[in-house]
Amino acid sequence: MAQNTELTRRSLMALSALGIVASARNAVAADGQLTWGVHVSLAPTWFDPAETPGIITPFMLMYALHDAMVKPMPGNGAEPCLAEKFKAAADGLSYEFTVRAGAKFHNGDPVTAEDVKFSFERYRGTSAQMMKERVAKVEAPDDRTVRFVLKEPWPDFITFYSSATGAGWIVPKKYVEKVGEDGFKKAPIGAGPYRFVSFTPGVSLVLEAFDDYWRKKPTVKRLLLKVIPEEATRLAALKRGEVDIAYSIRGELAEELRATPGLTLKSVVLQAPFWIYFADQWDEKSPWHDQRVREATRYAIDYKAISDALTLGFSPITNSMIPNGFEFYWQPPPATYNPEKAKKLLAEAGHGKGFDAGDYYCDSSYANVAEAVINYLQEAGIRVKLRPLERAAFYSGYSQKKLKNLIQGASGAFGNAATRLAAFVVKDGAYCYGNYPDIDELYAKQESELDVAKRTEILHRIQQMVHEKSMYAPIWQLAFLNGVGKRVGESGFGLVKGNAYSAPYEDVTIKK
Amino acid sequence: MKQYITRRVGYSLLSLFLLSLTIFLFVRVTGDPTTLLLEPGASEEDIVNMRHQFGLDQPLWVQYGLFVKSFLTGDFGNSFYYRSPVVDLYFERLPNSLLLASVAMVLSLLIGIPSGVLAAVRVGGFWDSAGKVFTLLGLSLPSFFIGLVLILFFTVYLGWLPSSGAGTAAHLIMPAFTLGWYFAAAHMRLTRSSMLEVLGSEYVKLARLKGLPEAMVIGKHAFKNALIPVITLAGINLVVMINVAVVVETVFAWPGIGRLLYEGISFRDFPVVQAVVVIGGSMIIVVNLLVDILYALIDPRIRLES
Repeated sequence: MAQNTELTRRSLMALSALGIVASARNAVAADGQLTWGVHVSLAPTWFDPAETPGIITPFMLMYALHDAMVKPMPGNGAEPCLAEKFKAAADGLSYEFTVRAGAKFHNGDPVTAEDVKFSFERYRGTSAQMMKERVAKVEAPDDRTVRFVLKEPWPDFITFYSSATGAGWIVPKKYVEKVGEDGFKKAPIGAGPYRFVSFTPGVSLVLEAFDDYWRKKPTVKRLLLKVIPEEATRLAALKRGEVDIAYSIRGELAEELRATPGLTLKSVVLQAPFWIYFADQWDEKSPWHDQRVREATRYAIDYKAISDALTLGFSPITNSMIPNGFEFYWQPPPATYNPEKAKKLLAEAGHGKGFDAGDYYCDSSYANVAEAVINYLQEAGIRVKLRPLERAAFYSGYSQKKLKNLIQGASGAFGNAATRLAAFVVKDGAYCYGNYPDIDELYAKQESELDVAKRTEILHRIQQMVHEKSMYAPIWQLAFLNGVGKRVGESGFGLVKGNAYSAPYEDVTIKK
Repeated sequence: MKQYITRRVGYSLLSLFLLSLTIFLFVRVTGDPTTLLLEPGASEEDIVNMRHQFGLDQPLWVQYGLFVKSFLTGDFGNSFYYRSPVVDLYFERLPNSLLLASVAMVLSLLIGIPSGVLAAVRVGGFWDSAGKVFTLLGLSLPSFFIGLVLILFFTVYLGWLPSSGAGTAAHLIMPAFTLGWYFAAAHMRLTRSSMLEVLGSEYVKLARLKGLPEAMVIGKHAFKNALIPVITLAGINLVVMINVAVVVETVFAWPGIGRLLYEGISFRDFPVVQAVVVIGGSMIIVVNLLVDILYALIDPRIRLES
């Protein structure tokens, strides 16, 4: 025992002499600072809202550095932020925004209508071409008024301007013109709650509270985002107190996190439903053409048990292929696990002894979900072969209509219920293997409907029809699991619906 | 000699061409990067725009031509993921990789050479067996496993060292040890076999017959000559360490070239993968070319045979 103590003391002395222990201790977060262990490498392109790609990750930084005219906020999917207010013209051909009085960029310059116009015109990220084709012109008659004039009525304009793209996130025109595109990425200036301090590629990003932020003065002085790609290392860093929040901790590590005193597991439900698509339902010779077989499949699977086993029960069973936070979402009746009913329906369809149902295709990174589903299908007598494909091959095969039988799909794309239906349900949709004329007719009708209530009604009806026809067997809406350390008061998880990360950052707090 | 060098340079250029062609085709076989850079369900317009922006809509031979041109001009294009010049990304990470590789190399030599010498002078004894076990462990235990065990022990249980990142000497210890151990095993094995060969040579026997103390025979006469192949291997290993510490750099979040390659592969960032592989490959080809030329300069038989 004495020898062990001596060894430890000697080792400590040796390490201290090198300044090692001291520096390791210094790595632990200081007061007024919160540290995140981030699962992906941060890319400077995400500092610039003009380059927002069609993935959610850049919003991790945009909610800190920048602000938008209208953006998803707690309790409101399209809350006016840098816009004090906005209104659509009665004919649906223009939208007028009033820039918030007193809103400032980090360099002290006021946010003006010219900045809003410039940011939109400069935008080149996801759906840029489509937005610019539909917007005839942007007018800035005075410093605080911006008018978007559309070529024809477009009911989804606000959805795309506020959340499905980065076109509504505002950058300072004068500064961008002065420093240039590369200069802006090296030292970005925005109108968000935190200002840029430093970025070490592959290592970390440091941000500092912007006290003049219009909504409120952020309570945490500094944010440090440390890149730690390996999941087990992130958990170790969280346990050690090197980071206060660790993004993406899954499976057994999430179990361990939950069992560790002082740490909290926080889940965020992503706008990413998973489903089984019956690709052959329009083929009269296929067993999947029979609606009873599709319904039997839905009854045969215990979705909740799968969620419990794979995501600790955090992935909700919404029974829909549309994300539940989307505008125009219709909530279907709850999914029911009833293997007896499944067998009965199969017997009625002439498959009393079960049947060989062909292939079950999935993205190989989610083969664990597929395996669980297939076990339930086998029990009901639906015999399928698992065909996991590498992600790129899977989505390319899916969109090129090369897959068949059953397809386990998912999507985290931005938009609203209408945009999802366009891609996955309606005729000529990128991932549609067939269509129903009654649904297509309704869909076309809502496209030009300016009355929100009427449009909502139509879109609800379409979702109901998708449910009744059993076009899909929705599995779950994926949960993103994260670890939160004991210093954190409000982590910001789940405040903004569908956002995977801590947001809004000005609401994040340290425990007192 | 001139003919010999010309031929060697020709082989090197051919190797470089084959390497560039292989990696160019290989990354493209893995699939379309837009499927990883956009969400499933992204609009056709976004996919088409992104493919156009990255030049993926051009014929393969045009893409290859542009890649070769970018390599020759030292440009390497822009990263799909970072949207910034690959050459900037590479040189931002290179100092970190050099630092990690240098420290790991010193560690591997400090461990490998003494244990190799000890194993050679005590053949069949305890140190030889211990060395073999050590070698086996270093070569067979996967780096991610060693890395995670070290983190568990030194970070979680003892709280001595930071789990990951870079910036202080403390951050360097665990990744350097993990990387160094693998190569220490190789250095130990080569030192042992090289020492055994030298210890059996005539001039060592003569030294012993002259009555020189054993320490001097081993340290002054045998060791110096046995070290030559070890240093040659260490030189090549250093280049390898700089470029392929993929697992170690990922586990410890070390911002080096290995992690850049990992990110490149993860996101099908073709320009990044191509640049890292071609630059790394070029380093190895150039080192081999220099070694060939130096051997030919030192040993006339080589150039005469050629």
